[in-house]
Amino acid sequence: MEKALKKYSPVFVLPTLLAFTIGFIIPFIEGLYLSFCQFTTVKNAKFVGLANYKYIITDELFLNSFKFTVSFAVVSIVLINVIALGLALLLTRNLKGTNIFRTVFFMPNLIGGIVLGYIWQILINCILSIVGQPLLALNTQAGYWGLIILTAWQQIGYMMIIYIAGLQNVPDDLIEAAAIDGATAWQTFWKVKLPMIMSSITVCVFLTLTNSFKLFDQNLALTAGDPGHLTEMLALNIYQTFYARAGMQWKGYGQAKAVLFCILVVVISFAQLRATRSKEVQA
Amino acid sequence: MKKLLALVLAGVMAFSMVACGGTETEGGDTDATGSVYYLNFKPEQDQQWQDLAAKYTEETGVPVTVVTAASGEYETTLMSEMGKESAPTLFQVNGPVGLANWKDYCYDLTGTDVYGQLLGDDFALVEDGKVYGLAYVIETYGIIANKTLLEKAGHTVEEITSFETLKAVVEDIQARKDELGFAAFSSAGMDGSSDWRFKTHLANLPLTFEYETEGITPGTVKGTYLDNYRNIWDLYINNATCDPAELSAKTGNDAVTEMVEGKAVFYQNGTWAAGDLAAIIDDLTMIPLYIGVGDEANQGLCTGSENYWCVNSQASQTDIDATLAFLNWCVTSETGVNGMCKEMGFVIPFAKALPADNKFVQEADAMIAAGKKSVGWNFPTMPSEEWKNGVGQALTAYAADQTDANWDAVVAAFVDGWATEYALANPA
Amino acid sequence: MKKQKSAVDTVWSFVLAVASVLYMYPIVMILFNSFKQERAISTGTAFQLPTAETFAGIEHYINAVNSKGFLQSLGYSFLITITSVGAILLFCSMCSWYITRVKGFVSNGLYMLFAFSMVVPFQMVMFTLSQTADQLKLNKPWNIWIIYLGFGAGLATFMFAGFMKSIPLEVEEASMIDGCSPLQTYFMIVMPMLKPTMVSVGILEAMWVWNDYLLPTLVLDIKKYKTIPMLIQYFRGSYGRVEMGPMMACIMLTIIPIVIIYLLGQKHIIKGVAAGAVKG
Repeated sequence: MEKALKKYSPVFVLPTLLAFTIGFIIPFIEGLYLSFCQFTTVKNAKFVGLANYKYIITDELFLNSFKFTVSFAVVSIVLINVIALGLALLLTRNLKGTNIFRTVFFMPNLIGGIVLGYIWQILINCILSIVGQPLLALNTQAGYWGLIILTAWQQIGYMMIIYIAGLQNVPDDLIEAAAIDGATAWQTFWKVKLPMIMSSITVCVFLTLTNSFKLFDQNLALTAGDPGHLTEMLALNIYQTFYARAGMQWKGYGQAKAVLFCILVVVISFAQLRATRSKEVQA
Repeated sequence: MKKLLALVLAGVMAFSMVACGGTETEGGDTDATGSVYYLNFKPEQDQQWQDLAAKYTEETGVPVTVVTAASGEYETTLMSEMGKESAPTLFQVNGPVGLANWKDYCYDLTGTDVYGQLLGDDFALVEDGKVYGLAYVIETYGIIANKTLLEKAGHTVEEITSFETLKAVVEDIQARKDELGFAAFSSAGMDGSSDWRFKTHLANLPLTFEYETEGITPGTVKGTYLDNYRNIWDLYINNATCDPAELSAKTGNDAVTEMVEGKAVFYQNGTWAAGDLAAIIDDLTMIPLYIGVGDEANQGLCTGSENYWCVNSQASQTDIDATLAFLNWCVTSETGVNGMCKEMGFVIPFAKALPADNKFVQEADAMIAAGKKSVGWNFPTMPSEEWKNGVGQALTAYAADQTDANWDAVVAAFVDGWATEYALANPA
Repeated sequence: MKKQKSAVDTVWSFVLAVASVLYMYPIVMILFNSFKQERAISTGTAFQLPTAETFAGIEHYINAVNSKGFLQSLGYSFLITITSVGAILLFCSMCSWYITRVKGFVSNGLYMLFAFSMVVPFQMVMFTLSQTADQLKLNKPWNIWIIYLGFGAGLATFMFAGFMKSIPLEVEEASMIDGCSPLQTYFMIVMPMLKPTMVSVGILEAMWVWNDYLLPTLVLDIKKYKTIPMLIQYFRGSYGRVEMGPMMACIMLTIIPIVIIYLLGQKHIIKGVAAGAVKG
C-alpha cells in the first residue's frame, strides 16, 4: 500500500505543502533573515548584522511588555484552569440544568477577540466610572485585570469542555473502588481523578499558555496598550514597532523582536509539554 | 496510468493555485491609462473624495480608488499599504518631519502641471531643490463659540480679547451652569478620535510662541510656555460638561453632540468642523486661542497646513502620470475645484481656487484683513507620533488627577520626550 | 446520605445559575445599549436600561446595515471562512493520511515542521507573509484561503495525523487489494472514518478564520474588502468619530448568527472540541 500511495504523493501532499510553503516556510525563513536587516519592504533589505538585536535589548518598552506578558500569562493560566476544572467537576455531577450551564459557559468562546475587547471596554469603563476610579486608558491595574477577566471569560468554557471529556473518561469502577475503600470526595479527586485527567491538563495548560503569550486582538481592542504602553503585551508591542513607527530602522527592530518572541514561545511550549507529559499515566 | 493521473491532478491543482495569483492582474492596475490610489488622511471629507473620484473616472475612464484611514491610524495604514505591490500612488505627509520618513517614496514634482498651479513655494515641501509635497488645503482653528448661548449668559464675543477675559467669561458661565442649562466648554475628549485637538493643536501654541521668542534648536525644546499650556488646559477640563476623570473615554462625537444640543458654549476645533456643526452654524463664531502669551490684542486664529500631497515615486510611470493628471484635474477643472472648494469646503492654495462658503474660513479671512496676526502651524515639527501620544497620555492622566507631579509628567513628556524622540527619529 | 447530596446539588445548581446569568450579562448589556440613542451611551450610563426618552429603536441596526458595507463584509467573512475551512479539511486530511501511512524521512520531517508551525506566533511571519501574499496576489476574499491553508495547516494536519494513527490499517489495505486506487480508498474508506475529527478541526478552524483580525487586515486588499472584525475595528475612529450605537448594533449582528449556529450544532461543537483536544 505504501508504494501505491507514494505514487500519488503529488495529489495528497502537494496542495498542502505548496500552501504551507507560501503561508509559512517562506515567510518564516525570510523573517529570520530580515531580523538582521534594515528594510521597509522585503526587496530593499540591507544587511546590518546584529544591530537590531543590540537595540531591542535596550528597548525598555519591549522589556516591560515582556514582564507584563509573563505576569499576565501566569495568573491567567492558573485562574482559567482552576475555574474550568472546578466547573467541569460540578457539571459531571448530573446537576439540574447541566446542559444549559455548559451552553452558557462555552458561548463567549465563539466571539472574536476584537468584539470581546470592545464589549469589556464598555463594561469595565462603566464600572470604573461608577466607583470613581480612573478609566481604562489611564489605569494600568484595571487594564491588567481587565485583560485577565476578559481572557478568563472567553477561555474557561473551552477548557471546561476538555476537562469534562477527561473526567468522563475516568472509569467508574475506579471511583467506586475508591468509595468502597472509604475515600472522601476530596481524596478521590486528588488521588484518583486528577492523575487520570493529566492528559487533559497537559492540553489545557498548553492551550492557555500559548493563547496567553500570543494574545493580540483582545489587547488591541481593550486597552491598545494604554496608558503609555504599560499594558502592551509582546504581540502588540511587535505590531506597534512594525506599523506605528515611521522610519527606516523600525521594521528591522520589529522583526528582531518577533524572532525573540518566537523563540520564547516555542521554548516555553515545548518545555511545558515535556514537563506535564511526564506526569501523565496511561489509562 | 495511475502515475499519469496523479501528475495531471497535481498539475491542475498547482496550476489553479498559481493561476489564482496570475490571472488577477487584469484589474485596472496594469491598464495603459494607469490608475490612481489615494490614501486619504482626512476622514471628515471621505465621502466627498469618493464622489469626486467617481466623477473623474466617469469623465476620463481612469480608475481612482480613495481609501480613508481610520483616524489616528494613517501612519499604520500607510506603512502596511506601502509594502504592497499595488501601493498608494498618492499619499500624504504632515510636513518636514513626515517627509523625512517618506522621502524615498516622494516623486519630485518639479515641472509638473499641478505644481505650476500652486500659489508659491510657501505651500510646497522643497528640499535640496526638489519639490516633494504640495499643500492642498489651508486650514484654521481656534475656539468655536456659540454666540447665542453667550448672550443668554449675559456675555458677548467682543468681551473676549485675551486669556484673562476668556477665563472670566468661562468661569462665570460654569458657576451658573445649572441655572443656565449649559456648561462653558464641551468635553475635551482624549479618545483617539479627539485627543489630537489637545496633544497636537493646542500644544502648537506654547511651541509656536517658544519658537518666536527662543528661536528653533533642532532636537530640543525648552517648554518656556508650558505653564500657559497648563492654564488653558485647566480651563478646558474644569469648566466642561463632564467630570475631568471621564475625559479619557470621551470621543470627538461627544463634543460635537454637546455643541449641537446646546449643552456647551465653547469647542476648540477648526474649519473642518463646519460640516459637523451645520445645524447650528449661524450661532457660531471662531475666536483666537488665547493662552496668555504675546500680543494678545493682535492675535489671530491658527492658520496653516499639515496636509501635503506626495506622489509615490516607486509606482509605475503610467500610474504616476495618471496621478499627476488627476491632481491637476482636481485643482483646475470646474468639477474638481468645485468639489474641493465647495463640497469639501477647503481653502486650496492653487491658482483657480474658489472663495469658500465655509463660515469659519470667511471669519479667518476677515480677521487677517483686520490686521490680526495668524499663529502659524508648527506642530508638523513635532518629532513623532509617539511624542504626541506621550503628551496626550500625560495630559489625560493630569486631567483625572490634577497634581503638580502629574503636570511635571506632562512637562517631561513635552521636553524630555522631544529630545528622546528626536534622537530616535534622526539616528546619528 | 442521599438526601444530603441532593441538597448540596441544589445549592450548586443555584450558584451556577447565578454565575450563568452574570456570564451572559456583558452580551445582554451590549444588546440593550444598542437600542439607546447615541448621546445616552456613555461610560457612566452603560448599565442603565434604555428609557422612553433614550430609546432609539432599531435605528442603529438600520444604520449599521445600510452604511459602511456591513452586508458585503458579512459576505466576505462567510466566503473566506467557508473556502478556507473547506480547503483545510480536504487538503490537510489527505496530507496527513499520506504522512501517517508512508513512513520515511520526508513524512517525519513534514510532521515535525507542522507541529513546529503550530506554536510559532503570527507576529513572526506577519510582515513577510503579507508581502508574499501581496506578490502572489493572494489578497482577494476568494483566494486568501491559500494563505489560511498554509498558516493553518500545522494544527489541522497534526490533529488528523493524531487520529489516523489510531485507525487500523487493515480496512484500507483490503480496499487497495480489491483494486481501489489510493484516491478511491481515501474518499470511500478513510474520509468517512475521519468524520468526527473533521468536525473538530472544522469547528476550530472556522472559529479562528471567522474571528481573525490581523491576518486579513494585513493581507486583504483593503481598497475593496473588509471582513467583519475589520469593520468593527473601523467603526472606532473612521470618519473622525466613534459611533458607539452602530458599533454595538454591528457587534450584535455579528454575534447573533454565531449564537444561532452554536445553538443548532451545539452537540457537535462541544463533542468536537472535546475530541479534538484529547487527540491533539
